[in-house]
Amino acid sequence: MNKRKREGLASNSDNMSDAERIVYNVIHSKQNMGIWMADIKRETSLPESMIKKSIKMLQTKGEIKEVVNIKNKSRKHYMAAGFEPADEITGGSWYSEGKLDQEYIFRLRQVCLNYISRNVIANRDGILEFINRGGYFSGTTTQEVDQILGNLVLDDKIIEVKSTGYGDYEKFPVGRVCYRCKSKGGVNNGEGKIGAMASIPCGVCPRINLCSPDGYISPKTCEFYQKWLDF
Amino acid sequence: MVSQYGFKFAIHLITNHFGKIVAKVCETLFRKGPLSLGEIIRSTELTPEQVKNSLLVLVQHNCVQAYVPADQFRGEDGSMATVEYLALFDNIIHRLRFPKFLEIAKHQLDDECEKVLDGLLRDGRLTLKQMVERAVQGKENPGAIEAVVRESFHKLLKAHYIERCPAPEPVVSTLIKAESAPRKRGSKMAKKFEAPETIEQRVLEAAVPGEAIRFAVTAYTLGNADREAKSDDSSMVNDGDNSGGIANEGSILWRANFEEFIRHLRHKLLVENERKRLDDGAATILSAILDVTKTVEKKVKIEKSAPLSLDSIFTEVTKTEHGRTMTIDRVRASLVQLGCPQRNFDDSYSIDLKSIVEMARNEEVESIVLKRFGSDAYRIFRLLSKSNCFLETDKIAESALVDKKETPRLLYKLWKDNYLYMEKLVVTAAKQSRFMLWKVNKPLLWEYVLDEMYHAALNLSLRLAFEQEKDEDLLHVPADKLVPADKSSEANALQKRYRRLRDVLFLMGSSLMKLDDALMLFHDF
Repeated sequence: MNKRKREGLASNSDNMSDAERIVYNVIHSKQNMGIWMADIKRETSLPESMIKKSIKMLQTKGEIKEVVNIKNKSRKHYMAAGFEPADEITGGSWYSEGKLDQEYIFRLRQVCLNYISRNVIANRDGILEFINRGGYFSGTTTQEVDQILGNLVLDDKIIEVKSTGYGDYEKFPVGRVCYRCKSKGGVNNGEGKIGAMASIPCGVCPRINLCSPDGYISPKTCEFYQKWLDF
Repeated sequence: MVSQYGFKFAIHLITNHFGKIVAKVCETLFRKGPLSLGEIIRSTELTPEQVKNSLLVLVQHNCVQAYVPADQFRGEDGSMATVEYLALFDNIIHRLRFPKFLEIAKHQLDDECEKVLDGLLRDGRLTLKQMVERAVQGKENPGAIEAVVRESFHKLLKAHYIERCPAPEPVVSTLIKAESAPRKRGSKMAKKFEAPETIEQRVLEAAVPGEAIRFAVTAYTLGNADREAKSDDSSMVNDGDNSGGIANEGSILWRANFEEFIRHLRHKLLVENERKRLDDGAATILSAILDVTKTVEKKVKIEKSAPLSLDSIFTEVTKTEHGRTMTIDRVRASLVQLGCPQRNFDDSYSIDLKSIVEMARNEEVESIVLKRFGSDAYRIFRLLSKSNCFLETDKIAESALVDKKETPRLLYKLWKDNYLYMEKLVVTAAKQSRFMLWKVNKPLLWEYVLDEMYHAALNLSLRLAFEQEKDEDLLHVPADKLVPADKSSEANALQKRYRRLRDVLFLMGSSLMKLDDALMLFHDF
């Protein structure tokens, strides 16, 4: 027992050179936030070559690991082996290896949308239960479902309503936040109503500010109009 | 304040309808504000005759209002008075909407009313006598036609779709009132702040006859109260007193009442929007409420409908075709849906119309963002628009689930095109860090979008004219040549060209009318 404990400690300090120990302590003190290479240099005041060598040694020994910092992927960022990177570093549960996990988001959105369109009205707990029971994804959290639902509302695919306790809302207590599909016929696959401005070339023109009746870009010579009126 | 492209579009309309000289006078008035005849002549470098004629055309078509500034008014005879001319932007833009106005008259009244209104819109101002003359010209059975015109005239007047022309040269005080002068800063004052009245508003207010005269066929039906209330009406009243009803027909000028048409179109938008957002029941109820309260509306842009009791709402609803089967509980439930969860203290309901207009505006702007900047930007924009406060870049990326690298790029694009408002925040704690905060500033954005819309309307109109000009020869080809009687390639090509032109004109014409709906949504409603 005693021996094993001593071994554990030894792995942290006994096997290290002085420089390695200093570097390790700085990295360890930052816990799950980790630290940038340049900050190690600033905090330890050791020469860069020595820091690089120490980091290499510490990595080989499995004491520290390199992590991707979402805010600056090109920076070398290190963290003690015992910690899991904080959300600020990884970007949260939607990020994997420093990239937004578009596929996971897309699939989770589809599952939520399908469930709501089938049930007309749904609340978050019902959706979460459906996801977990179906075993679509491992360990989807309440926060994740909330965020996906919030996103679908922002995309105008579903709308947030409060249960009135009558009719379609019978299953839900009065005042409970529920979600329903935007269009009455089910999932709104179209991109909503196109406004008056958005349906003419000028409404989507990136160069409208450069356009004038007698200018280089003018409605008479406009390529967008040409395409629009090409019957 | 009217936008730069608003003026350009208005001048374009005037050029199309009345030619370049009239447009030049109008442009000068827009650029320099109200001017006297002499000042216009000096500024435009046109001959006095040209300027006078242009002003006559513009006044006849209700695009310019003359007035006498109070400080220049000397004595009752007004001999020393200098008349100034003010261009009326709204009335010029309304010219684009004449087909809509005619459609309303036709739909709500009948074809004959549409014809009478058409005459008024074409000629600007007419007396009843002129309206009759216009209708009977070259027709048989003038007696019967005259009776129809008179009947239509009364119908239009009853519906307030026509009104008496305003006073020709009212005396208007152009001095800023003491109440609107800036006072010491204070929270109470800040809350009460209202936009100062513009000269245009004041001139229009002074020129418009009192409510009783405005829609009265003969002047002598007036009560004394009205005469006392508005001094500028006195000249009109006297006309009537001296000569009696028949003679009046030759002297009282009438014109279309644009305000009532715009009110009608606003109500239509409100009802249709609620139909789309809620259901037919809610739309029926809102429509009934607006119909009954419109007589008390003092202006078009009212924020809330006049309060009505549940009983009166129910009575009105059951009078309508779709509302006949509704129960009082159904009406109450729909009122809750329409945003009246609680009754006012006096057991009355009043609908928040401003919020319906704002929702429609948001929808229009969001649809532009979606088309121009894509779905990620759309989500970001809606997030900021709904939260209505400053949000930081990283926070936005997290909430909208947009890549953290991509988010600043999209935000910058939206900001560069004036769709977002941005502030930099520098925090100097242990380490200096800079944050970017973003927000949708709706009033500013709406003004900007409106200007872009005027620009788009101008472009659409210019391109329409260009397309017409390009294929002008086709418009003069006899109809039988456009039917493929012979199968020669020449006839085919001609037919193809004709079909294209027809489609182009239809698409552009309907797009312009749709865009005009949006212009009204952002400017008039």
